[in-house]
Amino acid sequence: MLVKPENLRGAANICSGGGKHPLAAMFGADETLRGGGLAIYCLFYNAEKRSLDVLKTEFPAEGPFNYPCLTTLLPAAAWYERELHDMFGLVPEGHPDLRPLVLHESFPSDFHPLLKQTPVDCQCHGRREYEMMTSTGEGLFEVPVGPIHAGIIEPGHFRFSQAGEAMLQLDAKLFFTHRGIEKALEGKTPWEAMPIIERICGACSVANSLSFCQAVEKLSEAQVPYRAWLLRTLALELERLYNHVGDTGNICAGVGFSPVISMGARLKEYLMQLNELLTGSRFLRGLIVPGGVTMDADDKILEEIDDVLKEVEKVYADMVHIMWEQANFVNRIRTTGIVRENTAFDLAMVGVGARASGIARDSRKDMGFGIYDELDFDVVVEHSGDVEARIKVRVGEVAQSLSLVRQLIAKLRRNADTELQADLGQLRALEGSWGISESARGDNIHWLLLDENGRLDRCFIRSASYPNWPALTVAVQGDIIPDFPLINKSFELCYACIDR
Amino acid sequence: MIDISSQLESLALCLAQALLLLLAAPLVSGIVKKVKALLQNRIGSSVLQEYYDIRKWWSKQTILTPYTSVVFRLAPCVYFATTLAAACMLPNFFGGQAGFGDVFVFVYLFALGRFFMTVSSMDAATAFGGMGGSREVYVAAFVEPVIMLAILSNVLHTGSTSLSGMSLSFDQVNLTVAGVLTCIAFFLVLLAENSRIPVDNPDTHLELTMIHECMTLEYSGRLLALIHWASQLKLLIFLVIFSMLYLPLDLPVALKVLFSAVMVGVVETLNNKMRLFKVRVYLAAAGLMLLLAVVAQ
Repeated sequence: MLVKPENLRGAANICSGGGKHPLAAMFGADETLRGGGLAIYCLFYNAEKRSLDVLKTEFPAEGPFNYPCLTTLLPAAAWYERELHDMFGLVPEGHPDLRPLVLHESFPSDFHPLLKQTPVDCQCHGRREYEMMTSTGEGLFEVPVGPIHAGIIEPGHFRFSQAGEAMLQLDAKLFFTHRGIEKALEGKTPWEAMPIIERICGACSVANSLSFCQAVEKLSEAQVPYRAWLLRTLALELERLYNHVGDTGNICAGVGFSPVISMGARLKEYLMQLNELLTGSRFLRGLIVPGGVTMDADDKILEEIDDVLKEVEKVYADMVHIMWEQANFVNRIRTTGIVRENTAFDLAMVGVGARASGIARDSRKDMGFGIYDELDFDVVVEHSGDVEARIKVRVGEVAQSLSLVRQLIAKLRRNADTELQADLGQLRALEGSWGISESARGDNIHWLLLDENGRLDRCFIRSASYPNWPALTVAVQGDIIPDFPLINKSFELCYACIDR
Repeated sequence: MIDISSQLESLALCLAQALLLLLAAPLVSGIVKKVKALLQNRIGSSVLQEYYDIRKWWSKQTILTPYTSVVFRLAPCVYFATTLAAACMLPNFFGGQAGFGDVFVFVYLFALGRFFMTVSSMDAATAFGGMGGSREVYVAAFVEPVIMLAILSNVLHTGSTSLSGMSLSFDQVNLTVAGVLTCIAFFLVLLAENSRIPVDNPDTHLELTMIHECMTLEYSGRLLALIHWASQLKLLIFLVIFSMLYLPLDLPVALKVLFSAVMVGVVETLNNKMRLFKVRVYLAAAGLMLLLAVVAQ
């Protein structure tokens, strides 16, 4: 659906169907080289149609570049609109918080990197205002943390407004290592783009490449071979397993519960070695390409996967048992860092975060991409929205993934196909196309458009951490600051995914 | 009746013992770390690692922020000195002459050291330091009465207020109800006082959850070495007291200290850190046990 900028708000209201179709993503595109102007695309989940609804608005090349903001209608739009403001200079009128999001104080305010007129290698110098949210009052104080942290993690600055140990407000300044990947992808063919796509994030390489490849494949008449889908799905579930198992252990690091931390780390290592055995990469890179997969798994490898998973299942059951037996641990995680269902709904959260707050959103079921419709699995939902719920969702999903991998191994053994890649032929140009897949953190959405030469004109990447980051700042309110690391780890949000 | 030479001899013995403890302290902390590592299926660093760390910090430059006052430089020295002084007051395990000083001086020497550390934690005016200082005092407010109760229980049992007197009149294996309760309660306090799990986590890098470590974040070089060394000595002093006065085992003191160091490692591995505001419940439980112990006598 194409609307005028002034009607975007009304149209978004209709598309969202009173909340039935949450906002999945919102991004811009510069179409001036193709005789257009700037455009904003809004994607809405539509579970009934098992698809994403696309809403587009176009701004004339000469402006004006303002439109009524969606944030006051759909809170989930807040970050997207700030990013559009930074990257394209599009002004959402009435936005409650139009501080820069991606480009911090060291960038000039008229610098908009995703405009086509901005060269990819441009140098810029300048200053702009960037104020952290603070609080004033008798006895209140602030605690600044980061961007350099004590652990080996990525940069993010957190500003806590404190009343004693109680957190009143948290403001997160992220995007410190924004890499300009979306800009760098422009002008590359989908095949040239693959190595970059796989390296957007270490923890969801498969999900990102799968979303991207699906978007590319929609532009071709060719069908991806069935065996390729089996292997892709196998990789996606193995990725979920190593993430969920590692995260379960890592959450315990927030409370110094060392036996579980080391068990989680050990299991994650087993699983990553399994990944290496299957694909030659601990992060499962190099397997998925547009049109199919590059390598097959023979019976010996499938046997090995089966064996390792048996061991993982056993030790993981022990690990979970130790966690629930420890009353002191359960005391730490119960009622800590609550995200209520309506908050999760308003922020259009995805993945574990959403499912722990009672929202059964899972693109494997909702969108049924690939061959998930013929596999048997349940969406694990918890309702309390606290750290305990997020752990329980992960524990439940590990069981589901183990079962999925076994179903896939059985199918792969029965399947005697040898074709792994389809020739995609000529890809349709100038047609927007999206792909979705479920990473361990939620759904990753890629949207792309090819120019007449079959090169990327625009590629937008929305990883699962993007809609969930703002929920963290809500979850901490009312908790005490020594519980922050625990709450933060229970979301396991990714910096690289948003620093794309 | 003052016999100068025996007084001097006693003083020399006390000093020798304190120095021995000072030299052994990093080893004991290293053993606790090793136990924890082994229980987590890790090889862990060498038990001598704490010595290497102290040597490393000792040869490093001390960086001070320009906003600190003399208190900041003084505090580690006071902390180290008071802890060393407390070490001198321990019952003499070379046997023979008793040490000097009574338990009240002993407890408040630690309080003096802690006072300076908390004041210095606020001196650099960083958010973490202030947070650590406030938490340290919060925990200390509950620890102090409980330690006094533990000692009172011993005073009632032995009829002496000097640590040496206590140890002399202490029958080695006190397996009465009061004895066992005091033993458990003192171990709980030992963990709290020495910033161990479940009260604090000495191994974490998460500043927001720290208590004791939070106060030392601004320190570097020799000042940091002094703080760490003093903390290790403090742990050893508590382990020695626990072994000599409370642990109902008929073994040489050194073995009992080793045993309790291993116990600290085991308990730290089996537990996770509790919620900050639950610490008072934990210490109240220890206090209650001690009250029962006192009543039982």
